[in-house]
Amino acid sequence: MRRQGALLGLGVILFFLLGHLLLPISFASADAGEKKLIFDKAKLLTEEEYAELNTMANEYAAKRDTDFIILTTNNDLNLDVVLITEKFYDTQAPGYDKPHGNTAILTLDMKNREVYLAGFYKAEKYLDDERLDRIRSKITAEFSEGNYRLGFEKFIKTSYKYMGFEPGVDPDNILFNVGFQVIAALVMGGLVVGIMAARTGGRVTVNRHTYENARTSGVVDREDRFIRTSVTKQKIEKSSSSSGGGGGGGGGTTSGGHSHSGSRGSF
Amino acid sequence: MNVIDYKCPSCGSGMVFDSDTGTLTCRSCGRQDNIEQTSDPLGQRTASANEVHEYHCTSCGAVIVAEAETAATTCSFCGSAVVLGDRLSGKLAPGLVIPFSISKEKATQAFKKWCRNGLLTPNKFMEANRIKGVTGVYVPFWLYELHNKVDVQGHATKVRTYTRGDYRYTETDHYDIYRRLQLDYVGVPVDASERLNDQLMDRLEPFPYNQLKSFKTPYLAGYVAEKYSYTDEELLPRAKNKIRDYIEESISASVKGYTSTHLTNKQIDTRVKNTDYCLIPVWLFQYNFNRKIYTFAMNGPTCKVVGKPPLSKVKISAWFAGVFGVTLLALELISWSMGGGFL
Repeated sequence: MRRQGALLGLGVILFFLLGHLLLPISFASADAGEKKLIFDKAKLLTEEEYAELNTMANEYAAKRDTDFIILTTNNDLNLDVVLITEKFYDTQAPGYDKPHGNTAILTLDMKNREVYLAGFYKAEKYLDDERLDRIRSKITAEFSEGNYRLGFEKFIKTSYKYMGFEPGVDPDNILFNVGFQVIAALVMGGLVVGIMAARTGGRVTVNRHTYENARTSGVVDREDRFIRTSVTKQKIEKSSSSSGGGGGGGGGTTSGGHSHSGSRGSF
Repeated sequence: MNVIDYKCPSCGSGMVFDSDTGTLTCRSCGRQDNIEQTSDPLGQRTASANEVHEYHCTSCGAVIVAEAETAATTCSFCGSAVVLGDRLSGKLAPGLVIPFSISKEKATQAFKKWCRNGLLTPNKFMEANRIKGVTGVYVPFWLYELHNKVDVQGHATKVRTYTRGDYRYTETDHYDIYRRLQLDYVGVPVDASERLNDQLMDRLEPFPYNQLKSFKTPYLAGYVAEKYSYTDEELLPRAKNKIRDYIEESISASVKGYTSTHLTNKQIDTRVKNTDYCLIPVWLFQYNFNRKIYTFAMNGPTCKVVGKPPLSKVKISAWFAGVFGVTLLALELISWSMGGGFL
């Protein structure tokens, strides 16, 4: 009976784990009071795409207490993309928690074909320059090919995902990958059961010392003759972080005094 | 006199070997005879093997039903313990024997205990109430004493790496190595019975050689014994094969301390110093489960059991699910503690 109880308990744990895995993310309530988070001044999205993305951005915003904002512009005044972003933040005062609050912004400058990602407050902490660089390198290709909707979607999803990891840890660490975890657990299960099954027939319990006559056995004679030493040298590669279409550039502070992280590149 | 039986000098009943006391014991009057001090009725005989094809029980006269390999059995009519003398003399005379030291009841108990310990065996199997037959068999083994002279030559390297400035340096020291080893193996057992599975017998090892006694036929009284089917020369390759891995391990153990070793020349000279023909006690269990018969062997003195039991699919699945769940949970906890979030 005890064993069955334990099995049942294990089953319940497994059920919850799997349930957790399979629960669709977009299950959260779609509130009627949707905020405007997509500012498509360059008209890159259709009406439908816009509505869809805005709903999605609102859903993810609620989960991370951070507004995910997308700003596209034809940049008629030919301003720097960083300046556009900072101005937008100062004047529009976005933020999930309060005006000038937690915000992650993707700015697409269609004139100079530049993209800039910025994180304010909570997003500055959780989406530092390095993480924004990674997000940018994942989405730049979509913009180059004109798949704007997909690129925006990826930005929101990846930012959402990365914000689930504590600052300072590598969000792409394979240990955090659920697929890897499931596969590792499957391999472990197979290995343990396989070993158990293999051992049911009785194990070999003799080794080389069982029949060896220790008094007369051993190394009788040995020689280790040094011949020569060979040396090879190899230049240590310095890891270069610049990626995408000539990116780089970090965060800064807006003229309104709001500090932010950032990643800039062309597409 | 090809058939030997053991009549009690006091009452005339049949005597058998008693594993608890190690004596030849009369079940009727309780007389116990020390085997090592009595003379073996086998004595000096010249009858050669396989000459006789029919044996008669000296107690009741019935024909003894015995296979060609059988050297000791019980008469199927009157139950007397009989030893077929011509199958244990001349070339077929064993030099050593490990006598049975635990009784059939104790062996069965030990077997039942083993059945209960299976983690993957079906619950029904663990009850162990369908044991069809328990037979104490003296299995013929050759014990080899093999002396090996091993000469190996090769090339080894020691590698160090360090960084200086912008460069990583790899420094490799090359050595010529030579080793001569003397490896003497004593009592390497190889089962000489045709009937029994070699792998099963290999897994039964080790046998307690401190219980070895010089052979006398009364040790067989009441048990089944077999004569060898293969000579020591025929089985020498198997013996050499058995020590091959030990030799390899000893060689690699003698060249420790290097980053890499590559042996270019290896000479192993194996000499057979001695072979002993030995009878080793094994309990054989026939277990009827789900209309299939499973055979298990138990090392007589040590009670180690070998043989493939049936596996329960339910238990395999349960263990798999359990290990899977626990591992997944552990990985989640690790990822969570590293700041990676829970799922």
